[in-house]
Amino acid sequence: MNRFINDTKKYWKYTLYAAKSQLKTEVANSYLNWIWWVLEPFCFMLIYAFIFGYMLGRKELYYNVYIFVGLAIWDFFNRCIKSSVRMVKRNKSIVSKVYLPKHTLIMSDMMVNGFKMLICFGLSLGMIIYYKVPIGWQALYAIPSLITILIFTFGCCCILLHLGVFIDDMANVINIVLRFVFYLTGIFYNINIFPEPIHSLILKGNPLAFMISGFRDSILYQTVPSRKWLLLWFVISVALAAFGVWNIYKNENTYVKVI
Amino acid sequence: MDEYAITVKDLKIRYKSVQAYSIKKSLLRLKGVEAKAFEAVRGISFEVKQGEILGITGKNGSGKSTLLRALAHIFSADEGSIDLHGHSVSLLAIGVGFKNEMTGRENIMLSGMLLGFSEKEVLDRMDDIIEFAGLGEFIDMPVRTYSSGMYSKLAFSITAILETDIMLIDEVLSVGDEKFKKKSYEKMKSLISQRNRTVVIVSHNLKTLEELCDRVMWMHEGKIVKIGEPVEVLNEYREFMK
Repeated sequence: MNRFINDTKKYWKYTLYAAKSQLKTEVANSYLNWIWWVLEPFCFMLIYAFIFGYMLGRKELYYNVYIFVGLAIWDFFNRCIKSSVRMVKRNKSIVSKVYLPKHTLIMSDMMVNGFKMLICFGLSLGMIIYYKVPIGWQALYAIPSLITILIFTFGCCCILLHLGVFIDDMANVINIVLRFVFYLTGIFYNINIFPEPIHSLILKGNPLAFMISGFRDSILYQTVPSRKWLLLWFVISVALAAFGVWNIYKNENTYVKVI
Repeated sequence: MDEYAITVKDLKIRYKSVQAYSIKKSLLRLKGVEAKAFEAVRGISFEVKQGEILGITGKNGSGKSTLLRALAHIFSADEGSIDLHGHSVSLLAIGVGFKNEMTGRENIMLSGMLLGFSEKEVLDRMDDIIEFAGLGEFIDMPVRTYSSGMYSKLAFSITAILETDIMLIDEVLSVGDEKFKKKSYEKMKSLISQRNRTVVIVSHNLKTLEELCDRVMWMHEGKIVKIGEPVEVLNEYREFMK
């Protein structure tokens, strides 16, 4: 634990700087430069509004905001997970030349994807104002839900970073698993449409479904998520992250030998 | 009593059963397919005094670079130990972490922090690095616009100006055009020769080792054949290689 804190402190500036560099690199050669960070999610928002609001005529309350917020969180999780599988191999030129705590690579990547998610949240706020969504005190529950999502994502990424070094076809497996989890998370629909006990099973068995639904419902529908389950997933996420970091520390020096 | 900067005891480094495998292969392994083990460093022990310059030579595959990476904490020891007695260490790596879309100045920050220096330490030495690289106004242009020589100059300058207690060098570097090559070699020599700096150099260039080192270690198939006075060890090595 101490080592994790010390390393994180020591490499925090680098992590931040590497994330900034990555964001800058992504748009460096485009004409609109950083405007793409806002323009891309904004265009997606218009597409969803057109398809689901106009063409499919979905009548759920604040449906456009509902899917946009859900997708923002899902995209964050999806990008982080996919990227973590090849994290060490992608950074071979670094990890084979200098010592770097490998979890800082994950943190840097999470910052990049987190920044994109924050832009989507900013746009969502605009939609909330535009659609005059009433916000209650329950919206505060979005904060613990989001923190749990971040820790859960970090934990999963740490474990996958390790597995991705040793198992070549991990990326293929993860693609399939992510697709399955995507449909079980109810990004484009409310998982309430499932009858019991399937609804409860998805909500309790799939942390992402629970946390994303808790996040959205607390903001858009003034609903309080189950505190018991929120606490449980928080504890599980912290345990997952602690195990992931411990496992990386235990094995990280052998990674270079493999790649 | 001499103070030691590096103490290596019975060090063994293996590349064994840690190669990546597919899920299919991993299932086969359960049925008894054994992975091959290769021992790159085979139980070596040596010490380096503070301020000493140790050269390591040996033919390709003798374990020199593996040893150097273990000293830099990039590899772990499978058996034995490495004690650096609390000294900071860096493997002189050119252009580590460089991003082509970033400017030279930004890459100095990125690479410097990656080498373990704080933001302040890099900022404090920024002007020295820029001056030594001699890139003029190119320093604020993306690295992708640099020629390979300019790229090497910048990369070398970062590692040469940012210093640690123990410096590990895999082949003495002289990069860029003829003028910069001479400048970089001289800089390398002055860096290496600093009294309080402990240096381990891996090189095939015997003349350089003879010129720069206090002691030379000859490695063969993961073991130390001989360690001692440069002239004596290198003459034996030359005979062996004939």
